[in-house]
Amino acid sequence: MSDTVDTTSPLPGGRELLPVATAADTRAAVGRLLRPHRWRAVVTLAVLVAGSAVALLVAPLLGRIVDVVVAGAGSAAVVGPAVLIAVVAVVAGLLTTVGMSLLVGLGERLLARLREQFVDRALALPLEQVERAGGGDLTARVTGDVAVVGEAVRGAVPKLARAGLTIVLTLLAMGALDWRFLVVALLAVPIQIHTARWYVRNAGPVYARQRVAEGGLQQQLLDTVGGAATVRAFLLADDHVDRVRGRSLTAVDLVLRGIRLMTRFYARLNLAEFVGLAAVLVTGFLLVGNGSVTAGTATAAALYFHSLFGPISSALVTIDEALSAGASLARIVGVAELPAPGEPQHRALPMDGSVKVADVHHAYRADRPVLHGVDLDIGAAERVALVGASGAGKTTLAKLIAGVHRPTGGSISLGGVGLDELGPELARRTVVLVTQEVHVFAGTLADDLRLARPDATEAQLREALSTVGALGWADALPDGLDTAVGEGAHTLSVTQAQQLALARLVLADPPVAILDEATAEAGSAGARVLEAAATRALAGRTGLLVAHRMTQAATADRVVVLDTGRLVEIGHHDELVAAGGRYAALWEAWSATRT
Amino acid sequence: MTTPDPVPVTGTAVLRGAILEQRRDVALSSLLAAGQQAGSALVPVLIGVIVDVAVTSGSPGLLILWIGVLAANFVVLSYSYRFSVRAAERAAEYAEHDLRLRLTHRVLHAGGGADAGRLSGELVNISTSDAKRVGTANVVVPFGLAAIVAVLVSAAVLLTISVPLGLLVLLGTPPLLLLTHYASKPLERRSEAEQARAAHASGVAADLVAGLRVLKGLGAERTAVQRYRRTSQESLVATLRTAQAYAAQGGVVETSSGVFIAVVALVGGVLAADGAISVGELVSTVGLALFLQIPLSTTGWTTIEFAQARASAARIAAVLSAPPAVPPGAGTARQPVRGGLRLRGVTHEGLHGVDLDVAPGELLGIVSPSPAIARALLACLARETDPETGTVELDDVPLAGLDPAAVRAAVLVATHDAVLFAGTLLENVTATGAADITAALVAAAADEVADSLPDGVDSTVGEQGSSLSGGQRQRVALARALAADRSVLVLHDPTTAVDSVTESRIAGALRRVRRGRTTVVVTTSPALLAVTDRVILLDGDGVRCEGRHADLVESRSDYRETVLT
Repeated sequence: MSDTVDTTSPLPGGRELLPVATAADTRAAVGRLLRPHRWRAVVTLAVLVAGSAVALLVAPLLGRIVDVVVAGAGSAAVVGPAVLIAVVAVVAGLLTTVGMSLLVGLGERLLARLREQFVDRALALPLEQVERAGGGDLTARVTGDVAVVGEAVRGAVPKLARAGLTIVLTLLAMGALDWRFLVVALLAVPIQIHTARWYVRNAGPVYARQRVAEGGLQQQLLDTVGGAATVRAFLLADDHVDRVRGRSLTAVDLVLRGIRLMTRFYARLNLAEFVGLAAVLVTGFLLVGNGSVTAGTATAAALYFHSLFGPISSALVTIDEALSAGASLARIVGVAELPAPGEPQHRALPMDGSVKVADVHHAYRADRPVLHGVDLDIGAAERVALVGASGAGKTTLAKLIAGVHRPTGGSISLGGVGLDELGPELARRTVVLVTQEVHVFAGTLADDLRLARPDATEAQLREALSTVGALGWADALPDGLDTAVGEGAHTLSVTQAQQLALARLVLADPPVAILDEATAEAGSAGARVLEAAATRALAGRTGLLVAHRMTQAATADRVVVLDTGRLVEIGHHDELVAAGGRYAALWEAWSATRT
Repeated sequence: MTTPDPVPVTGTAVLRGAILEQRRDVALSSLLAAGQQAGSALVPVLIGVIVDVAVTSGSPGLLILWIGVLAANFVVLSYSYRFSVRAAERAAEYAEHDLRLRLTHRVLHAGGGADAGRLSGELVNISTSDAKRVGTANVVVPFGLAAIVAVLVSAAVLLTISVPLGLLVLLGTPPLLLLTHYASKPLERRSEAEQARAAHASGVAADLVAGLRVLKGLGAERTAVQRYRRTSQESLVATLRTAQAYAAQGGVVETSSGVFIAVVALVGGVLAADGAISVGELVSTVGLALFLQIPLSTTGWTTIEFAQARASAARIAAVLSAPPAVPPGAGTARQPVRGGLRLRGVTHEGLHGVDLDVAPGELLGIVSPSPAIARALLACLARETDPETGTVELDDVPLAGLDPAAVRAAVLVATHDAVLFAGTLLENVTATGAADITAALVAAAADEVADSLPDGVDSTVGEQGSSLSGGQRQRVALARALAADRSVLVLHDPTTAVDSVTESRIAGALRRVRRGRTTVVVTTSPALLAVTDRVILLDGDGVRCEGRHADLVESRSDYRETVLT
């Protein structure tokens, strides 16, 4: 494992990337992944060593032919060593096939485990952290970085393993021919070490910048491709192609800068090759001259050293692949090795569906508080509407009660149990938040619904759909509930997607449900369909509705009015209208055009 | 509008184009790489010469001379390599860059159709990983050619040493290359399947990350993880099969080149034993035979990389060749655009035989109880699609005869799900036009949004506006639509996430800011409908009724039911 490249430099716009593992942590994580496969690893290593060792027999066999010729033993004596060379080729080929297959198989298994662990932890990350880093960071890690490490597992790692083995075994074999050959061959080593050091020192920063540039390119492509419909509508294609071009050229420029470094690196390696080879040849000349070695041995030594060129280059060239794979691995491990979300020691069960918010403060950034000491009690099965202008803190309050964010001050309890004592597991079963964000997961409609309840039967799925009035269109889909939906498949309308979200709520069946503008995105026509669906989905649950449509407020048990982070009014619709405060103003604006 | 219309291409054409467009660098690199390979081929020859000096003459002067020649050879091969790699990588990177831009052009092409049926994560993967693999062909070609040169140089040296040996290498190499080629055939298919799986697995992961907020709200993270694990394992099974195939191919190449060297050594050894060649020449021969492994395995690598590049080129070609959602029209709108719209007998998805007229400069409200009908209408007006039957006309010119980009230069359909782009609030609003930005911001009440943000209009909005609330996003999107200042503006539910006081303000400003130009608002919001000149109630059977909002509220119970709840 190479030194980890530091990619945590601050990004523009106050971004803060997700954690990146240190080199030591990365090594430890790989060790942990390797442990269950250690026997496979041992066998793999043994087969690879055997394969490389057998292949090394070719040079002495060729030297043998030289000696036979010099000794004038006749052409028949050449046949034996030549046949052995062929046998060596067959055996080495077989061992290589098995060894490589084992090695890559091992790497792929570790990688699969790692990316699964990554997704597991990534989905457990607090939302604030993901948003601070930008969604592209997670996406780039799970697509780009996983691909880079995968390429390394298939290419650089086996190359490095074979080259390393060949180098070590060849040097041993040269020493076995005559110790002086080994000593002069090592003259090349200081040049190589110096070169490798120089390269890592200079290439590291370039690769770090290259990764940032590639992340930026990825983000831009996601932004552009994901918003293609909007780009077309607004005729922004030229502008977006320019954006992609700019990001892409920056990445290209940095890659080429890295290439220039790499080629200078090779020039220095060529020098090492020449110095070593000349030394071995001069030594052979002297040793043959004083009769301490045969011409065949000198030949074998020279051929051995010459045959090191390939493996040394291939080992050193993989430095840059290893550098970028190491950086990618550190970025994956950084997330994959985050501690699993903790569960509290002794868990209390919520007694009912009541919600208590006590003196809750919240700020996403320390200098911009969003909520200032909100107190709110909601009884079990009560329906409360949350009303206020945009930016009043309604969504924040909803997310805090749902346990998505943790308040910076004050406490929230569900059914008499604090959110912290409840623990994430139980909190998820107690409260479900349906947000204004509609996302239909790629897969079948049934799969999407089963995210809420994995063991739901077909009948339960249909019942949930029917509760939210979606069974009609669901049955009308080309393959019913087995129709592939989501991005790239059958597109559901915003209303349908929201009905789906409500159906998931019904399936999850929590005692407390929070709907945050869940009807708003559907447009006004869809909103009415959804309002009816929401009413049915909330039956028997405690419901907190973030309402923009005033009808939702008018029919709720109580209305809570938020204004710039403070709870300013609370009561039944009629009382608040009569009181003539903020709510009354909102109501008047709403009803003015409706009478 | 500078984008050329999509033309169907094959994967082979994509690959060939990627190489030919960079032919200068590819040719330069090939030439230098050949020089480098020739130099490398000379190294074992020089080793043989020096061994010969040691065995036969033992003269130190000759030794120094030949070491000098070796040094000169190293200088040549080193510099050739340096500049050949630089040229090859330049060619690879720019080919990749060009493909990426072509893909972006195609996806964003006004005719649409390339993003249908594909996850955006998948498209991004194609524009990065697959483009890179195709670009790599520009490294593969010079080094593949150089490998062939190396084989030829070796053969020439061998021929001068001995004709039978030279012939052996010349005649033995092609069958070896052929064998390598056939060993890589099944790989091409597997590589394709593997890349498709990998794209799918990373697509699923990106999809889950994109839906993270929803998963969090639902507490479904664990189920999602289990689902990803299944996909990941399926992908693993596919990659393992490919890995075995790669390993087997590597083994076949290694074995066959080893056997080949054995044959060369045998023939050379017999010739030397018979005194037909010298010991030094024998050493050169075996040195060359060993050296030949490198160019020979380079050809193996070449075939693998080419197989991958071809698979990737096919995937790129599939996107580039995706049929447009609407056929390109040559015509442009009548200038100046007056902004009259006419629909005759339009039937499309939810719409049935709709006849509709919008006068230039009119502010029209369209109410539809069904979101499907609204969507179909918007798609037809934006020419995202052409209606199954019937015509849509702008100033008496049928849209179907117009370039879709020309339609959108006159008609802006601001759909409900339009996204904001990374950048500042102001950049989003000004991206589309040069109209009075301040007026647009104020009319959409987006000035209040700016006031509530840390850096005002210069605050960043996050990817797809993720750092704004729903109501804030909607107001910025509306400001952008107003700032675009099109002759015809179609707004779809622009204020659903906005509180009622702000909505009334927006409704009041809309009329003022769009004065003299045609505006259609597809909505059921009474606040917006109240400011329109005329309202049309549209259902599955066409136009059910029309009139002023206040009159319809009074006279039509079905309208009341749809608009006032």
